[in-house]
Amino acid sequence: MPHFVGSNSSTPVRRAWKVAIALVVATMISARSVASTTAPGSGHPQPLSFEQHVRPILKAHCFDCHGEGETLKGGLDLRLKRWIERGGDSGTALIPGKPDASLLFKRVQSGEMPKRDRKPTPQEIETLKRWIEGGAGTARPEPETLGQGMQITEEERAHWAFQPLRRPDIPKLQKSGIRNPIDAFLARDQQARGLRFSAEASPPTLIRRAFIGLWGLIPTPSDLEAYSLNESADPFLTLLDRLMESPRYGERWARHWLDIAGYADSDGYTNDDAPRPYAYKYRDYVIRALNEDKPFHRFITEQLAGDELALAQHKDLEKSSQDPATRDLLIATGFLRMAADGTATGGIDQDIARNHVIADTLKIVSTSLLGLSVGCAQCHDHRYDPIPQADYYRLRAIFEPAYDWKRWRTPSQRLLSLYTPADRAKAAAVDEEAGKLVKEKEAKQAEFIDAALKAHLEKMDPALREPLWNAFKTPPDKRNPEQKKLLADHPSANINAGVLYQYNPKAADELKGMDAKIGEVRSRKPQEDFISILSEPAEAAPVTHRFHRGDPKQPKEAIAPGTLTVLSRGEETPGLPLPSEQPPTSRRRLAFATWATSPRNPLLARVIVNRVWMHHFGRGLVGTPADFGLQGERPSHPELLDWLASAFVAPRNDDPRHLGLGWSLKRLNRLIMSSAAYRQSSARDPGMEGLDPENRFYWRKSLQRLDAEAIRDSLLAVSGVLSGKMFGPPVPVREDAVGQIVVGVDKKQGDNKMPVEVAMGEEEFRRSIYVEVRRSRPLAFLHAFDAPVMEVNCERRTSSTVAPQALMLMNSDFSMQQSQKLADRLKKDAGPLREAQIDRAWKLAFLRAPTRDEFRSAQDFIERQIASLLAGNTSDSSSPKPAGSAEEQAMRSLCQNLFSSNEFLYQD
Amino acid sequence: MSLNRFESRRSFLQQNALGVGSVALAWLLREENLLATPPAVPRQLQTFDMKPKQTHREGRARAMISLFMHGGPSHVDLFDPKQELSKRSGEDYPGEITYSFVDRASKKLFGSPWKFQPQGACGTEVSELLPHFSKIVDEVCLIRSMHTDINGHEPSIWSMNTGRPQPGRPALGSWITYALGSESRDLPAYVVLTDPGGHPVDGARNWSNGWMPPLFQGTVARSREPRILNLDPPPHLRGDLQRQNLAFLEKLNRAHLDRHPGESDLEARIASYELAARMQLAAKEALDLSGESEATKRLYGLDDPVTQEYGARCLIARRLVERGVRFVQLFVNGQIWDNHENIRKGLADCCRKTDKPSAGLVTDLKARGLLDTTLVHWGGEIGRLPVTENHGPAEKAGRDHNGQGFSTWLAGGGIQGGRVYGATDDFGHRAAVDPVSPADYHATLLHLFGFEHSELAFHYNGQQQHLTDGKPCRVIREILA
Repeated sequence: MPHFVGSNSSTPVRRAWKVAIALVVATMISARSVASTTAPGSGHPQPLSFEQHVRPILKAHCFDCHGEGETLKGGLDLRLKRWIERGGDSGTALIPGKPDASLLFKRVQSGEMPKRDRKPTPQEIETLKRWIEGGAGTARPEPETLGQGMQITEEERAHWAFQPLRRPDIPKLQKSGIRNPIDAFLARDQQARGLRFSAEASPPTLIRRAFIGLWGLIPTPSDLEAYSLNESADPFLTLLDRLMESPRYGERWARHWLDIAGYADSDGYTNDDAPRPYAYKYRDYVIRALNEDKPFHRFITEQLAGDELALAQHKDLEKSSQDPATRDLLIATGFLRMAADGTATGGIDQDIARNHVIADTLKIVSTSLLGLSVGCAQCHDHRYDPIPQADYYRLRAIFEPAYDWKRWRTPSQRLLSLYTPADRAKAAAVDEEAGKLVKEKEAKQAEFIDAALKAHLEKMDPALREPLWNAFKTPPDKRNPEQKKLLADHPSANINAGVLYQYNPKAADELKGMDAKIGEVRSRKPQEDFISILSEPAEAAPVTHRFHRGDPKQPKEAIAPGTLTVLSRGEETPGLPLPSEQPPTSRRRLAFATWATSPRNPLLARVIVNRVWMHHFGRGLVGTPADFGLQGERPSHPELLDWLASAFVAPRNDDPRHLGLGWSLKRLNRLIMSSAAYRQSSARDPGMEGLDPENRFYWRKSLQRLDAEAIRDSLLAVSGVLSGKMFGPPVPVREDAVGQIVVGVDKKQGDNKMPVEVAMGEEEFRRSIYVEVRRSRPLAFLHAFDAPVMEVNCERRTSSTVAPQALMLMNSDFSMQQSQKLADRLKKDAGPLREAQIDRAWKLAFLRAPTRDEFRSAQDFIERQIASLLAGNTSDSSSPKPAGSAEEQAMRSLCQNLFSSNEFLYQD
Repeated sequence: MSLNRFESRRSFLQQNALGVGSVALAWLLREENLLATPPAVPRQLQTFDMKPKQTHREGRARAMISLFMHGGPSHVDLFDPKQELSKRSGEDYPGEITYSFVDRASKKLFGSPWKFQPQGACGTEVSELLPHFSKIVDEVCLIRSMHTDINGHEPSIWSMNTGRPQPGRPALGSWITYALGSESRDLPAYVVLTDPGGHPVDGARNWSNGWMPPLFQGTVARSREPRILNLDPPPHLRGDLQRQNLAFLEKLNRAHLDRHPGESDLEARIASYELAARMQLAAKEALDLSGESEATKRLYGLDDPVTQEYGARCLIARRLVERGVRFVQLFVNGQIWDNHENIRKGLADCCRKTDKPSAGLVTDLKARGLLDTTLVHWGGEIGRLPVTENHGPAEKAGRDHNGQGFSTWLAGGGIQGGRVYGATDDFGHRAAVDPVSPADYHATLLHLFGFEHSELAFHYNGQQQHLTDGKPCRVIREILA
């Protein structure tokens, strides 16, 4: 029976439009980026100007050789319209009004120019043509002259993201259903389009949404119950506060930050992908900082310059590492140690590998804090964004004192021991004592071997005794051929420590006793622990050079540390004033952190609130969270973005008109989650669907699939095995027998290297954030659901829907195991009665009782399974039967289906 | 029972999404007052399913196997003999050269160390490095004038594989499956066979659906067993038990979808379970080589450790196409063809790995009557320069990137065999005669499949998007059979 025209009484027409909507929506969803051409109020065509329309095309394709490069090809400089008219060696390149007579157009249209790389698109060529046809106008009189290299134009400076942060007025609307200023901004744009917020979602939906949002876990039935008993004016706000007080909050939000920080427990870069045994301390720092709600500007400053802050308090790193408060500051610099670093591997080009670490670090810093990828400017002036190549090296100069590629330190050389002076003294004493014992043992051993050999020679042909003895006592590499042959012919004379027991068991036992003693002494050595930090050696800071075409072998002029030119207002150079504190370092990173978190950098606050918004709504107000540049998307709600960013950084103030969140992430979350926009239902409305099918204007809460960690962690929670253990070394991963990466201790045995199961206790079921992130071994379950593989960092996750996910839930050992655990739990919670177990299963997985229909089909399903099991009706009856009665096996399958269902995998 | 259910639901969707036709759908939408959509939304609905699609004309090709040789196979040492280059080896190149690695660049011409001989009835000259390819030249059209005009790997790969030298667009496989749908209900329409040595440069983006729905993403079959992970439930849960499971899950999901009408993602996930279930049977069978004859295995080099791995993947590609998979792409590990240095050894190794299996595939397809409808592509994103790279000792010599001119071959699917098309200049640097751009290549592929490149569109971002991306291009009719 076709499903869509089943027994349901709705008409075929009604059904058909559902299908149709599905198709329309599929079209819309495929449009990953929001159209950026329809900014409100910009519908009128305007004449093309050189600055706004033409220059960006020429900059992308031509300036390298014709204006911004080191030499000027053909004597033609295309940076001013006037100069294009003046032309180069081939005469004028532009005759306004006549594209076909203008060399500029002719050469480009014929494909003759640009000579290499990318060609302009047909649209770009068309723009050129139309500009010339229209008279080749400029927006304003052109400057008399231009300096060398890249010039930043008015148009580029006017780009929205580079503007200082101003707090827009909150729209005054006479409208119900507005809970806070966020809603006012959204509602104003909705009103203009005939849209409105949907009704508030039901409490269970809302609670589940909040739990997933703040904890990355689905709630339990008792959480729901507690909510219904809460008598505060707005129980939802109480819930938000409660959730953010829990340590589970930090575990969830740290994951978001670790994505953009590029967290990994391995070095990457080469196939070795060596483990990074101490990276986890940075992960733990992030969890703690978020749980404490450390003000975000402080959080960032510590990550950029924690070592410099620590050294302002203690005179050296060792002292800093002993004081727990400053130790945390050092660990925070782990942020700058996240990039892949293959410099400890042999057989690689060190220059390339080292500069790679610096380039990746700059990518992480710029995408996470500036919302720009400056990497393009490594080799040449940025082709799209107003970032001259010098800017890249200004930023690089900030980090070079710590990342000096000429005096490089490998990952292990960047580890700082946590030994106290007392530990160190004790360790030395232990080493000395053990060393003595080792010597004693070696002497004893030699004595025993000699004695054993002598005794053995007594039993041999007297003529052989002396030659054999001499051969044996000659060091192996000094033996002459006869001696070698002699020993080879009489293997029993080759006595060594390993076979001594065959000659003199008592002596062997005595040596064993000495070994035990050595081991016992060594065990008294204090365990040495390390932290992986970024710090600067005492030497003077190196000079940073611009590299011609990004090639370290071609250093050019020296460049001083600084920030982005486009953000410097009215200054000659975007320098970086060094702070007056006096840590014995270059203080460059401290200065950068101060600048980055100051109003002089309008990008940071926007970037952070946009990321937070993205985590709550599945899409940022700016759809390209790590590209706020000219190629990125425009904000869908620029005023809301700026209001949120302003409020986020403003000093704490609870008055809604002057709201200040004081850089508190928890307060930002609370603000967003208490809005009507967040609290509304996800239900579709055909009328509004027609007006805004993509929900760009937030008239409903879009449905979202749980992300990878939330799925795995919720599975563990529902099945009742989730460990609450926090922090510490990562839970190891290994390749299982079929080559899938699973949680487990990597131990193999036998010639065929079969994996050995090692019991892990609760470690196996810890939250996903604690699972080892080996770049080359992404955990299969998380990877299938779009957890990132850290090449550098992850700006934004995708959410895919593919068959391997289905197979993972249907057939993986993990899925089977968790279903079994849930079935066990049902028995424990609800007793032996099947009906009670079904009821409990629904409540745990879906937070509601089954409907009568569902109850019946669950019963029916179990009956069928039992019947099939009893009939032995499987394709392979020779295979081993699983444990448990048919009833238990059927219940296990039921559980697995609940886990695999959309109701479990999605949030409304 | 449950499988029938899938079938009928599917046929319903087909009838209603396409069979009734967009006119009727538009009418229904108007009736429901739902057509008040912004102008950016296309009037004609795009349907995203894998049902076989109507082509613009009758096409010759029904499937494609792309043996993608990323890294830049050296055309002047494999496919494109240059007398002038050999004669003047060691002299300076007389013109301007587009290098990638300026710091190691040289103008010294580097004649091929390998000999070329005419092969087959057609007499196409082929390098001694390719003894097996030499035997299939009569089936092949060798294009000696490909060019991307970009020397970098990634931009050229994007050009060849997505139509534009920037990342983010759907891969060729996505376009072909979007255009044609699938002939297999049980296997993914677009399968990627990766190398055990690792992913190609740029990784999974090589088979990304870009802005098309995830339905058109390539599915990776791993290089080792199990080639598709988690394909099977444990033995004791197969058969009826699993069918019951899937039917029950579908019931849960349908009820959930009824409460969330119009959520296409939920619908897509339901479909992903259906596909997964069918894949269990079909993929297993398709990937199992044990039923192939010894002669066939030998043809692909499965009896030789050097060719065994690549040969097995070529053979799998044939089995997939036989079973209705539309597009199969094989990658090699890393950038093995990127012979910047020591090309004498490096290039010979690449050929040993790939030559026999690639030729075996064409021979086998032909013997089974599949070659007429299966287009085989062999080629990389760039070629290599006629000058030497690295000034060091001769045995260390290599060649730098060359996007200005290189060779690619096509066979089957309506391509003329025994044909050479286009030529590079006297030294093999630039495509000089009848140059073929990525857009020309794509337009020709689509033509072979029965589509006009300018009409096959995907609606995205308020624009009609085409594989050829509005670039000037033409169908290379001279190479059609």
